[in-house]
Order: sequence, then C-alpha cells, then structure tokens
Amino acid sequence: MTGPVLSLKGVNKRFGGVVAANDVDLDLPPGLITTLVGPNGAGKTTLFNLITGNLRPDSGSITLRGASLLGTDPRKAALRGIARSFQDLRLFEQMSVFENVLAVMERSALPWQRGGRAGARERREKAEATLAQVGLTNWRNARAIDLGYAEQKFLSLARILVTEASLWLLDEPASGLDPASYDRFVRLVRGRLSDGVTICLIEHNLDIVHGISDRIAFLDQGAVLAAGEPRAILNDAKLAAIYFGERR
Amino acid sequence: MQGYILNLLILVAISGILAVSLNFIIGYAGIYSMAHAAFFGIAAYSGALIAMHVSTSLLVAIPIAMAICAALSLVISLPSLRVRGEYFVVASLGLQMIAFTVFSEWKEVTGGIGGLTGVPVATLFGYRLHSLESFFGVSLICLALVTFVIYLLVYTSFGRSLKAIRDNEVAAASFGKNPVIIKTIAVAISSALCGVAGVLYAFHVSFVNPETFTVDQSVLIMAMIIIGGTGTVFGPILGALIIHLLPAALTYLTFLPARDLASLQQIIYGAAMVLLMIYRPSGLIGRSNVKDTWGK
Repeated sequence: MTGPVLSLKGVNKRFGGVVAANDVDLDLPPGLITTLVGPNGAGKTTLFNLITGNLRPDSGSITLRGASLLGTDPRKAALRGIARSFQDLRLFEQMSVFENVLAVMERSALPWQRGGRAGARERREKAEATLAQVGLTNWRNARAIDLGYAEQKFLSLARILVTEASLWLLDEPASGLDPASYDRFVRLVRGRLSDGVTICLIEHNLDIVHGISDRIAFLDQGAVLAAGEPRAILNDAKLAAIYFGERR
Repeated sequence: MQGYILNLLILVAISGILAVSLNFIIGYAGIYSMAHAAFFGIAAYSGALIAMHVSTSLLVAIPIAMAICAALSLVISLPSLRVRGEYFVVASLGLQMIAFTVFSEWKEVTGGIGGLTGVPVATLFGYRLHSLESFFGVSLICLALVTFVIYLLVYTSFGRSLKAIRDNEVAAASFGKNPVIIKTIAVAISSALCGVAGVLYAFHVSFVNPETFTVDQSVLIMAMIIIGGTGTVFGPILGALIIHLLPAALTYLTFLPARDLASLQQIIYGAAMVLLMIYRPSGLIGRSNVKDTWGK
C-alpha cells in the first residue's frame, strides 16, 4: 500500500486569539477525493492556505510525498504539483477565457517558454481541448468577467484541469451549480482520478459531499474531529449537530 | 507656422513613446508608477552627455540610455515591487523626488538647475538630423518601433503573465508564476523604452534641465494613458495627441479675449478632460468600446 500523497501532522495556526488550525493530523490517500466539511470558520480554507504556503503554520509538519512543504510559497507549491482553486474564483477577469487557460500553462517569467513553437502549439491545443471538455468553447473569446457564474466555475476548473498537477485543492468548486452542471462537474473531476490525481475539496452542500467524496474529514474550530468513510461521518449525529449549529 | 506644427508633432511622438511605455506597466501589469518622468530624465541626461562627449549618433545614444534606464530600474524596482498597489505608487513617487533632487543637485554631471545646454544635432547613419522634418520622421519611426515591441510583448506568454498578475496576483502565483520577477522585467522594459523618448527629447530641444522631469510630467503621461484608454495599444498615443494638441488648438479660438486667453484655455482644457472622464471613463479607445484592444 502506498503512503499518503499529502500528510499533515500536528499542524497549528493561530491568528491572535483565534485558533485556525488546532493540532491537525490529516492524510490524503492517493487517487481519492477527500472532502473537508465543517461549519463556517472551521478552518478549512486555512488548511489549504497552509498547504500551499499562503500561510505558514506555527508548528507541525506538512509533507508532499514525504518531502516537507514547510517554508514553501504558493509558486513553489504549484511547481511541486499542487493546483488550487479559490472560493472567490480569482479568475484573470479582464483576460479572455482562452487566455485564462493558456496562461496557467506558461510558467516561465521570461518572454518565451520552453518547447519553442511546438510547445506553444501544444499548449494552445491543450487549452482548446480543455475548453471543449468543460463546455466553454463558445465562450472562448469572452472576457472571464463577462461569463455567467456557472461558466466562471467551469473556467476555474479548466485552469486546474489543464495543469500537470497531481494534487488538486478545490475550494467550494461546485457551490451554486445547477444539478446538470453539478453532474458534469463530478464527471470531469472523477474522470481525472484514474490519471493519478489526488483531490481534496471543501464543500458545504452535503448532497454534493455525499455524491463526490471517497473520504471525509470533519473540521470544527480548527481541529479535525473525525475522518473516514462518507457514510460514517455524515450519519454521525454529534457531527451533524455541530455542523448545523446545534451544539449546546 | 510649419515649424511650429512640426515641433508640436515631434513632442507628440516623444510623449507617445512615454505614454506607450508607461501603459505597458500600468495597463498590462497594474503597476502605477509615478517615476516615469525620472527615467525620462535619466535617459535625457544620458543622451545629452553621450552626445556632448561620446557620439551624436542616435544608434549609440539610444541603446546606452536604454541600458542605463533598464539597469537603474532593476536596482530600484526589485525592492519596491515587493509592495503592491498604492504602496508602489508611494514608493515610485519617492523615487521620482529623489531623481529630481539628483538632477538638480549633482551639478558636476547634470549642470544643476541650469541643466545641460548645447546638445549637438543628432546623427543617424552619418546624416545630421538638423531639419525638423527629418527629426520628426525619426521620432515617428521610434514611436512605431516602441509600439510594435509592446504589441509583440502583450500577445506573448509574457504579456499574458503580466495581465494575469494584474488581474489577480495571488492566483497567478498559485499557478506557478513569479510576480516579482515578471513585474521587475516589465518595469525594466518600460524604463528602457522610455529611454528612447528621453534621448530624442534631449536632441530635439538641445537642452535638458530638471524642470522637465518633475512629478507633474509623470502625472501628465499618466493622463495621456487614461484619456486614450488604459491597457490599449493605441490609446496612449491618442492621449498624447490630445494632451498636446488641445491647448494648441485653443489658441486658434480668436474670439476669446486676449487678456484672459491663458486662463480660459486652462478652464476649457480642464473641463474637456472632466467631461471626457465622465462620458468615456475607460478612455477614448477603452475596453468597453471595442471587442478587443486591437479591434480584432
């Protein structure tokens, strides 16, 4: 059995008096979708920020395939194979849909990229194919800011799909999608698991959580209260009470 | 009369280069620099000194001035580009003020407040560009070349990286882009291209002094960009044209009382700018008016 792709051990993060991550232990097994659930303010997005280097933990260790991620920054995390989407999407709003997808494949800071003309052609073809995959070909030349919400969500996903990343961190990727769009989203995401991708996502809609997750980690007040099979977590009355704000 | 118009058009071309080069970082990278006049000045002084002591050839003066501007921008922008948005504006404003002080006080090199006089006539391939027509032609070619370079850069991966950082720096970094390096390179390119304008200016007026390179000049260049259309390739040139030609055109309004002409010109000029910003906030060829900045 192979070890976890990502492993957090004893991770702590405080913002003044607020505990955002409280001795978090969490493993992401390879090739599975692990969903982080919990009430607002549970520290789910903070965990993503700690993994990608947007925040530094006060203590604890974070390893990607056994190698430490501590001290990394978002750019280095990306170069090490972590792709991340944002709750507020953070699209390149004034750029076209096609440029949004193409730009994420162009990592060199110089006015040229590796691979010369052949590489450029390959990237363009990949961007076109990805747009077709997420159903955005017709919006190819539209500015990202001009898209509808569902299309923006799929553009956000397209930017992840087009990367070579092996670990995806998706922050509420399906919120606000209609059922048909949601089904399409699940197909696209699950379809990539067989390529060796490991996914961790944050989601509030419990129907979606149930439908997409292989594992669930339940967080509250910065701590992982439970982790395991979706059915076991979602049927836990105590966790449900916390989730719906019914604790004493 | 023809000399006056040619002189005006040369200044439009030089300002066009300044505006296009500044727009490269404002429009495509979201870096609002108030120090463009400083680089304009550095290039003008460099050009003047090269012409007076080394060579009058534009092919010598322009590349050296560009290299000096790019190198200085690297030194300055590497620390200051770590700050974002309004903080960079303040940092660049400080830089502009330092540059002005250096221009004024480093008398041995810059001539102090009196400046450098007697910059010789420019040459190109051995020909002296002593006529306004020839200098206008060269200025126009330089403007076209600078615009073309910007065009090439904007539509390469580098341009896309710049725009990505402009639109969302955090997301750009999360996809593996290096915002600091990319912005630093952009500022170096912008400053180098600004250097072309500085050299042309020094040769054109054959005199440089600090008064031309104040923060007012930086604001004026920024106004050209905003009026023409930020993030468009031709907008800044149109802005430069308007900024220079509108006040000149107002002098032809003969019905204005001669005694109050200057004041009225300023009022009309200011009102025109305000109206423009009310009715065309994205500039004359801003994004809301065309499908693509190149009209594709």
